[in-house]
Amino acid sequence: MSVVSREIRRVEVGQELSPLSVRFTRAALVRYAGASGDFNPIHFSDQFATDLGLPGVIAHGMLTMGTALRVVTDWVGDPSKVISYSVRFARPVVVPDDAQGVEVSFSATVTAVKSNSVSIAIEAICDGTKVLGAARAEVDLGA
Amino acid sequence: MPISEADTGRRYPPTPIYEVTAGKIAEFAAALGDQNPAYYSDAPLAPPTFAAVPAARAWESMFADPELGLELHRIVHGDQRFSYRRPLRAGDRITATLTIEKVRVRGAAVLISSAVDLHDTAGELACTAAATFIHSGDAA
Repeated sequence: MSVVSREIRRVEVGQELSPLSVRFTRAALVRYAGASGDFNPIHFSDQFATDLGLPGVIAHGMLTMGTALRVVTDWVGDPSKVISYSVRFARPVVVPDDAQGVEVSFSATVTAVKSNSVSIAIEAICDGTKVLGAARAEVDLGA
Repeated sequence: MPISEADTGRRYPPTPIYEVTAGKIAEFAAALGDQNPAYYSDAPLAPPTFAAVPAARAWESMFADPELGLELHRIVHGDQRFSYRRPLRAGDRITATLTIEKVRVRGAAVLISSAVDLHDTAGELACTAAATFIHSGDAA
């Protein structure tokens, strides 16, 4: 992948970014736990997860959030252009204890083009349900 | 004594310095499956959501505060907002300072809104990470 600079005049409201689909497995959660330092047991122990009323082990919200932003940073190339990024963790992503894991699909659409920045709305879907709410990134596309 | 609305405005001292390293950035980017070359260069940037790593040092101080009576396994992340002044980079030495901005009690559950400022050792603000955490009670 090459680092690409986007020219703002080529960006239009409604433009769709290249979507992304990933599978979260238990192994991916363990890897994210180690990389991030988030060792909350609801991300590796079914017992802790079900004690909390969850159906089972769930993905770290930050894993979903971080993966979702790849749609934006793959598009803009330079990740330092991201000015802000916010999400609501609308539904937990339940990750089964098998080799396949669970699929999460990410897509994104340009919602506003300002003088030197662009707003992007991101969707994350798992099992037909939105798992992120109000997911928005703002990207600086100025000089 | 459990957390209550009276804890709004509670502010924690800055965390010990967290040093951002190239190895940790590469590990974090790999955990996101992210191959962006900016994360694997000799002087790598951190992925934007890496800001949660130093911010988590401050979250942990709050979660472990005996005066709040929280339990880690009862906490889920409700929302997360990052505002960036600049990206984090390998070599950055970062402190995280947390303020509890709002506490809302909803039956057995408590919603905690927090803001963490990430400063470098020159005192420059790199990022603010605002989060809402939901702590569920025994009724869950």
